[in-house]
Amino acid sequence: MAEAANKLTPVEGIKARSRLLRGTLLESLADSATGALAEDDTQLSKFHGFYQQDDRDVRDERRRQMLEPDHQFMIRARVPGGICTPRQWLAMDAIAAEHANGTIRLTTRQAFQLHGVVKRRLKPTIKAINDSLLDTIAACGDVNRNVMSTVLPEKSALHRRVFDDARAVSNHLTPHTRAYAEIWLDGEKLTGEAAAQEHEPIYGATYLPRKFKMSFAIPPRNDVDAFAHDLSFIAIVEAGELTGYNVAVGGGMGVTHGDPKTYPRLATVVGFCLPEQVLQVSEAIVKIQRDAGDRTDRKHARLKYTLDDRGEAWLHEQLKQHLGYDLGAPREYHFTHTGDQLGWQQTDDGLWHLGLFIENGRVKDVAGNRQLSGLRAIAQVLKGEFRLTPNQNVVVSRVADEDRAEIDEIVASHGLDSWNRLSLIRQHALACVGFPTCGLAMAESERYLPELVGRIEALLEKHRLLDQAITIRMTGCPNGCARPYLSEIGLVGKGPGLYNLHLGAAFNGTRLNSLFRESVQENDVLEVLDRLFADYAAGRNDQEHFGDFLLRQGLLSHSTHSTQIQPPIQTSAQTRPVNGQQVSS
Amino acid sequence: MFQALRTDNSPFTSQQIELLQSSLVSLDAAQAAWLSGYIAGRLSTSSELNLPLAAPAAETSAQQKFHVFYASQTGTGEGIAGDLATQLQQAGWSVELQNMGSVRPAQLKKLTHVAIVISTHGEGDPPDDAIDWFDYLQGPRAPRLESLNFTVLALGDRSYEKYCEAGKKLEALLLATGARAYSNRVDCDLDYAANAIQWSGQVLGYAREQQAPADQSAKRGVAQHLSVVPSHELGAGAWSRTRPFKATLERVQKITALESDKHVYHLELSLADSGIAYQPGDALGVWAYNNHEVVSSILARLNIAADAEIELEGHVHSAHEVLVRHREITRLSADTVQAYAAASGQVGLQNRFDALDAQERRAFIEQRQFIDLVDEYPPVEGSVVRLDTLAEILRPLAPRSYSIASSRATVDEEVHLTVATLYSNAIGVERKGVASAYLNHHLQAGDEVGVFLESNKRFRLPENRHTPIILVAAGTGIAPYRAFLQQLEQEEANTPVWLIFGNPHLRTDFLYQREWLEWRQKGLLQHIDCAFSRDQAEKVYVQHIVRQQGERLDQWLRNDARIYLCGGLAMGKDVEQAVQDVLAEQRGLAAEAAAEAFAELRRQGRILKDLY
Repeated sequence: MAEAANKLTPVEGIKARSRLLRGTLLESLADSATGALAEDDTQLSKFHGFYQQDDRDVRDERRRQMLEPDHQFMIRARVPGGICTPRQWLAMDAIAAEHANGTIRLTTRQAFQLHGVVKRRLKPTIKAINDSLLDTIAACGDVNRNVMSTVLPEKSALHRRVFDDARAVSNHLTPHTRAYAEIWLDGEKLTGEAAAQEHEPIYGATYLPRKFKMSFAIPPRNDVDAFAHDLSFIAIVEAGELTGYNVAVGGGMGVTHGDPKTYPRLATVVGFCLPEQVLQVSEAIVKIQRDAGDRTDRKHARLKYTLDDRGEAWLHEQLKQHLGYDLGAPREYHFTHTGDQLGWQQTDDGLWHLGLFIENGRVKDVAGNRQLSGLRAIAQVLKGEFRLTPNQNVVVSRVADEDRAEIDEIVASHGLDSWNRLSLIRQHALACVGFPTCGLAMAESERYLPELVGRIEALLEKHRLLDQAITIRMTGCPNGCARPYLSEIGLVGKGPGLYNLHLGAAFNGTRLNSLFRESVQENDVLEVLDRLFADYAAGRNDQEHFGDFLLRQGLLSHSTHSTQIQPPIQTSAQTRPVNGQQVSS
Repeated sequence: MFQALRTDNSPFTSQQIELLQSSLVSLDAAQAAWLSGYIAGRLSTSSELNLPLAAPAAETSAQQKFHVFYASQTGTGEGIAGDLATQLQQAGWSVELQNMGSVRPAQLKKLTHVAIVISTHGEGDPPDDAIDWFDYLQGPRAPRLESLNFTVLALGDRSYEKYCEAGKKLEALLLATGARAYSNRVDCDLDYAANAIQWSGQVLGYAREQQAPADQSAKRGVAQHLSVVPSHELGAGAWSRTRPFKATLERVQKITALESDKHVYHLELSLADSGIAYQPGDALGVWAYNNHEVVSSILARLNIAADAEIELEGHVHSAHEVLVRHREITRLSADTVQAYAAASGQVGLQNRFDALDAQERRAFIEQRQFIDLVDEYPPVEGSVVRLDTLAEILRPLAPRSYSIASSRATVDEEVHLTVATLYSNAIGVERKGVASAYLNHHLQAGDEVGVFLESNKRFRLPENRHTPIILVAAGTGIAPYRAFLQQLEQEEANTPVWLIFGNPHLRTDFLYQREWLEWRQKGLLQHIDCAFSRDQAEKVYVQHIVRQQGERLDQWLRNDARIYLCGGLAMGKDVEQAVQDVLAEQRGLAAEAAAEAFAELRRQGRILKDLY
């Protein structure tokens, strides 16, 4: 057992052998007999920003046809802080039409995703994305991924200040390997001495033990779900000025069904740093995780486990060693909500911002709702910028007063104005991609949640609760792309038509939900919600959120209201400190 | 049931006879038939070419020999030639049965009695094995062959404009040398059996007139035992084109994806208890029947009652049955068009067809089935196409032939086929080919279908399993290579294999993709290079791959590799040209020298083709 536990995971070997992420990707791309990559390359491809997937709807059929799975790739483009220019939007739109399935997906990490790219289109797609001055490197893989940043603080200068920090961190932590340029951008191949000298200054040759996620939050908005990341910087604003950031470490969503060693964890606020210390702190924490993270078990490799295994005191020691100074004491802050504000809003610089609802982030044209065309039309006239939100929506940003009418007209004629007709629960719904393309999906997600929300809306109407904002999130597997453990109603796929029902997270993202029913079907979900909505409608306090009400009712037993997501199996992992309670809320 | 074997009527020792007799008496009829096929199959594969049927003791001068030559891309010509050779031997002749490709044409000068079976391909082309003969006979060194007596059996397909052209041309070339044709050339359509028998009869008649008395009795004994069943049917047990085995269809599976423009099916048939012992490279003849609805439409248009009766070859059939089971209604021929025009009083059709040049006629014929002709040109007022006329107008239905996609080493008593549904809708009406429609869309698992073996010794794996093989295919041409790989996998052979495959799209059209990838993974396949013609703006075909990979191709050829070509005729030509180009480029040869280097590969039997 101990021997097995000390053995590095196969992915570690692949990384070590890859010559800084080259592997045999060029050979895989040239292989005309298959739409797939060589197996090892499917691990390396993530570092370059794409996942090998296949259309699971036709997997069985193709097996009978003696054809390989319908391999296709999901390509993720990094958009630090979610900000992209109209020109970049138009580029993604054109790339999606030419090389992918004609839709753009806005992710829960403020990135773009393209689906259905076949192997021979990978290179032109990635090249075109880079030509637009976005990139895909480190959008996935065991590295720091797209750095998130709160979308729309009322003060635009503050937003820009924090965004600049987010972008600087993103650049600072981008891998240095030339492999990306060699393979995708026709960069000159390093040979001889130059190849021998090449190295990764921050990551080293085997990068991180697992993915690493970062965000920058500007309270009172918690749209980035600051506690769901390995590392978050929470802006502290005093007298209207950014004085620094609270540093939150060790958040993460991923869980494996039936494996009690795994759990979602809220990040722990461990201190405070000055704005000019952000690069040092983020680099130090990345390096600490690089060296201490568990490389023998990918299910136990995230920083959250490193931190729980070693303790907070250990972290402070490590930080002191790397930084030469201690972090300051955490400052006061207050979060109110995780969702987006849709519709027009004005910032202190007089510019306007229009939040548009994109169901599950899938930008596409359907009859009567031509969002893809509409956003293209907006991009063609927009003088400001787009901001992708952590809730899969998009904000048309920095619009001058006199340009609003033109935007409004496009919005109305393309069915982009749905936010003012949709229920609040639908506006607060998130779903991951799931079937048919995600290789991890166990149950439907994006294709199903809109339908289920319709049925839940009917229940809310019955109990006269339609005006109540409730967060609901669905994922097709327990890995947590849509951060389901941070929603008031969470549905985590277990099998076709079967979900674990989680209830009771805080509306502002400071408390995890709890497993309420295991492996239930839609009928059971609706029956439970019908009953709880009735109680809620009758017994809620003024302004009390659904999740808070459930907790107060004792419907969620105290011992299960935070990190305990797994079914109650007796293990030591079940009795860890309640991280959410350390957060002021 | 067996004539007793003795040392004076067989080549066996008394000890062997004792063993054989005791085994043979225990066999029932089916077992005996199977055994005869088994032994013949062993014989037919034990020496690739040049089967010497004569007993070694029978030393005769070349003058006394009868030479039977054949050249065809499939096994049909060889089968007919083999039967004739056997019959001549029975008649007391010393016979040399040879593939034209293995005979230097200059040897013709020494020969006296010759019979030649030759097929025609594409637009009048001779088969590869006859190319050297044509070059020789029409070249500047053409010999005088006044002492040569010959006859030709020409195999062809009447739906082509240049029907049996190679046979006609060979006859003319030989006549021009001063050789004498001792009997008329006979031309055979797809339905060749009756004409082939007639021709063989002519040869035997001539042979009797020339009969040499020497050595007859000594050889007859051997010959009789070899010829219980005509040789080209022996490998298939007792089953033949005229007596097909009823195979049970076990599985029909489409193997192109839903979105594909191609409709290719994988079929698994059971040959259980048939004794059909096919080899990788062989083809399976399949008797497929016409679509009932189309037949009903034809009869309705022509005002012929479905139950009207007609006698064909001694059997009474209904009109419907005749058209479904006995007549060709999907592949037209010029004769059919003209005969129908005459019978229907369709001067318009006659005039239109007469006005077409050869190429246009070909297109006219290819784009139409008989139903289209009848639809477009119904009988004119006052003209009646009677059932007996109709039966004459239409060619007899011929079985279709498919390269076998399996090896018995892997699938045991099954046989697998790869069948693309042929669609033609050039004139706006979608029609399906007879056999592909019948196999892919009409038959259901559990149904029976008449099949027989069409042995193709010219498309075998190398005897030496270390000889590298380059397998080039487009579309369903990949079928025999699946048989090759199954065989090599079972043998755990170390044959270096390189597959070059072409079809429109990777995603939907890579036939048996999973298996190829698995074989590559296991190391049975060294390389797979695919040309998916429509996956990019510029079309890429297998010949482009051959050129792109010229360096490797040359290297493989230097290592004695063989090149196999399977698929359409045009693809075959393009790839041959590409190989010549590679030889020119890689070896710095002028075009002529490269062509000669290629011809040398062909003569060495290293260019193997199964084209259609």
